[in-house]
Amino acid sequence: MSITWTRRRLAFGRFWASFRTQRAGVIGLAILLLAVLLAVIAPLFIDAGVTNVVSGTGEKLSPPSWDDPLGTDESGRSVLLMIWWGSRTSLLIGFLAALLSMVIGTVLGIAAGHFRGWIGAIVMRITDWFLVLPSLVTALVLAAILGGSTVTIIAAIGVTSWPSTARLIRAQTLAVEARPYIERSQALGGGHWHITTRHVLPNVAPLLLASTTLEVASAIVTESTLAFLGVSANKTSWGTMLRGSYDWGAATSGAWWYILVPGLCIVIVVMAFTLCGRALENVLNPRLRKAV
Amino acid sequence: MRKWIGATAAMGMLALGGLAGPAAQAAEPSAPKVIRVGATQAMDSMNPFLAVRLVSSSIHRWMYGYLAVPDSKTLQPSPDLAESWTTSPDGLTWTFKIRSAKWSDGQPITAADAAWTFNKMITDDGAKTANGPAVENFASVTANGQDLTVKLKTPQASMLDNPVPIMPKHAWEKVGDIARYEANEYPAVTSGPYIAVEHKKDQYVKLKANPDYWRGAPKIDELQVIFYDNPAAAIVGLKKGDIDLIGRLAPPDFEALKGDENIVQWNTEGRRATYLQVNHGATTSDNKPIGDGHPALKDPKVRQALHYAIDKQKLVDQVQNGLAKPADGSIVPPMYKDFFWQAEGEKKVSFDVAKANKILDDAGYKKGADGIRTMPDGSRKLQFRFSIHTDAPIEEKLAEYLTGWFKELGITLTTKRLDSSKFTEETGTTALFDIAISGWSVNPDPEEVLATHLCSRRPTASGEGGGTESFYCDPQYEALYQQQLKELDRPKRADIIKKMEERLYTDAPVIALYYPNNLEGYRKDRIAKVTSIPEDKGMLYGGSGYWPFYTLEAVSKDGAAAEDDGSNTGVIVGIVAGVLILIGAGYFLTRRRKTVADDRE
Repeated sequence: MSITWTRRRLAFGRFWASFRTQRAGVIGLAILLLAVLLAVIAPLFIDAGVTNVVSGTGEKLSPPSWDDPLGTDESGRSVLLMIWWGSRTSLLIGFLAALLSMVIGTVLGIAAGHFRGWIGAIVMRITDWFLVLPSLVTALVLAAILGGSTVTIIAAIGVTSWPSTARLIRAQTLAVEARPYIERSQALGGGHWHITTRHVLPNVAPLLLASTTLEVASAIVTESTLAFLGVSANKTSWGTMLRGSYDWGAATSGAWWYILVPGLCIVIVVMAFTLCGRALENVLNPRLRKAV
Repeated sequence: MRKWIGATAAMGMLALGGLAGPAAQAAEPSAPKVIRVGATQAMDSMNPFLAVRLVSSSIHRWMYGYLAVPDSKTLQPSPDLAESWTTSPDGLTWTFKIRSAKWSDGQPITAADAAWTFNKMITDDGAKTANGPAVENFASVTANGQDLTVKLKTPQASMLDNPVPIMPKHAWEKVGDIARYEANEYPAVTSGPYIAVEHKKDQYVKLKANPDYWRGAPKIDELQVIFYDNPAAAIVGLKKGDIDLIGRLAPPDFEALKGDENIVQWNTEGRRATYLQVNHGATTSDNKPIGDGHPALKDPKVRQALHYAIDKQKLVDQVQNGLAKPADGSIVPPMYKDFFWQAEGEKKVSFDVAKANKILDDAGYKKGADGIRTMPDGSRKLQFRFSIHTDAPIEEKLAEYLTGWFKELGITLTTKRLDSSKFTEETGTTALFDIAISGWSVNPDPEEVLATHLCSRRPTASGEGGGTESFYCDPQYEALYQQQLKELDRPKRADIIKKMEERLYTDAPVIALYYPNNLEGYRKDRIAKVTSIPEDKGMLYGGSGYWPFYTLEAVSKDGAAAEDDGSNTGVIVGIVAGVLILIGAGYFLTRRRKTVADDRE
């Protein structure tokens, strides 16, 4: 036990040392930690009431001022507080959708890579089918059928974004399984479960981490897109704020703060995830590491 | 008498012979007067038997005559293709005298055309798509020369509000399968002020003025209807001058027109009521429960409490940008002065959260530890769903406000967005809703909107038929409905209808929120004059009847040139037009001069 832990700590130390050299990655990580921290501690300062139209007392679409540092929206709610509260929805959906997509992608990817032959072929054809489906349209249709709630939005995004992960994981699985120690393990009586969970999974995990980080970014964008197109979880998120600014003519009435602020928040967080993900890839993918 | 007018007409013709030559030459160089109307909906079919969209029925209204049209001042039925009518004492037989006029291809209009139209709808299910219910009550329709006799199954006071355009028998009887006929043959044979000459699907419809129209040709040469995908594009189109008029605007789009000096913002009382539809225990037409409505909503007290918790004035200010009227009445909007009912005194429900809470407390709906009320027997929490359409920002905002107010009552409201077809299914047939947003554009005769709350409109057990707006089935309401059907005296009928509205208000199967204004915009550098319906601050595109588009006058493009010899040309044109009308009058005048005088105001 202690040996394993020492080894893991050493491995993490090596990983951290090489991650630290990626300056963009570190900046991304810092922004991410800050965003997550803010989202988590938000309930200590404000509650869902800031998004309640009935309690919105400010003027409609008033520009930034001391009272409302980022202006107000069409119902007199403070854009700053809505952004803060909305970050919880956006980040939650982003993380959980990416997680769901990762789980589906990993299971199917490893299955397709491990069980070659007709099982693998069928799984890959299903993956291909999902890959060619226009994911945004599918997600829209799914969300419309399932109705709007946080769970359905997460499901809609997760279910449509897993095929690329599955392909990636399958390729990695094939590479791992070609190694001699897998054959050795089989000879020693290792079953499918043992091989996939004890040998393949740990070896694809680093790649998975990098791809999931990138996946979160795209899930946040997808959530915003869906919300902008009118499919949302009934909660204030950055996407629904953008939608609101479009619906209530923020552009024609010159309310730049209402469009720019949620838009910039999305850009910054997505950027941070991307920076982090790329850095992880650089660190974890041996081929990229050589190139650097 | 007729001879004398005939002679005058002949003299007019002679005079015209002298004048028409130069007049025509003088008028020819000026560009044709074209008015372009924008619509954010495309035409679904040029076949009036099939067309159901508002844009289609509007265009058909400009093309075809009806038995009667709403008067441009009072909105009461006035003669159109039927120049007069009589009713038998039992109210079951109506005899219409069809005007002696001509179709745009020169054929005479006779009662046979009208009879063919109605009989086609009675006998052919494919022809019922658009206006099927309008002939449901018809027992038989027969024609004799210009006399049309309609025998009804039961008396029907709204007979003159019949929405079916009269179609030319000679052009349409050769059509095989009416349900598949798209009527894309141009020029169309019409009897109204305009003739459709071109239709490009999802792009435009072009209509030429009908020079032989019996009221006289319209004052413009061509009317085009341009279809836009979304309101924002149409607004830009109006600002750029691609279109000259647009109707049915949402408040934000309407406000975007502010500040353009060439655009007139036309803001008037609308003909629509927006209301909440409450699932008060939906049943099918054989009285079996259907759907999954919350049991608490069966209690009129709960519905009443909800009504008290809605600040309608705030909704108007915030959701409709102030461009609506808070509803202190029911489903008939105030623009129909004859039929509008408004709650007063004790009966009036005004925003009062404390009172709403008290009603619920007294009725035994106790608040739990989490602040949410439960049923008196503790079985279920008061958690309602609110069904709205996807892609409807106004409904979205409305939902946010209702959620906020109901929360103060200890009632949780969650919003459920549904696409149109699913929404219609769940709120109209399967009753899978608690509270839903709804609305109805009311015709000058409110019978149809009243009928949407009848027992008979509930769907059958197999989910067919229907058209109910509330799954309402109330003996008192039913009795009043039957009473108003038979009441041919307008003021007395209006009183009965007001009682029906009061019943809906107090029993609250529907809760009226507000009456949205009718918002339109047009370019005053292109449209010189347009008469709304009703004439005193009424509607343009959104109105019923063809008056606004029949009376459109374009700004003449070459204003300066027209002024030079304007007096002369104007006089000549005036004389020509006057003589033409006189000829028309002389030709079309039949036995009864009085009726004609009544028509031509």
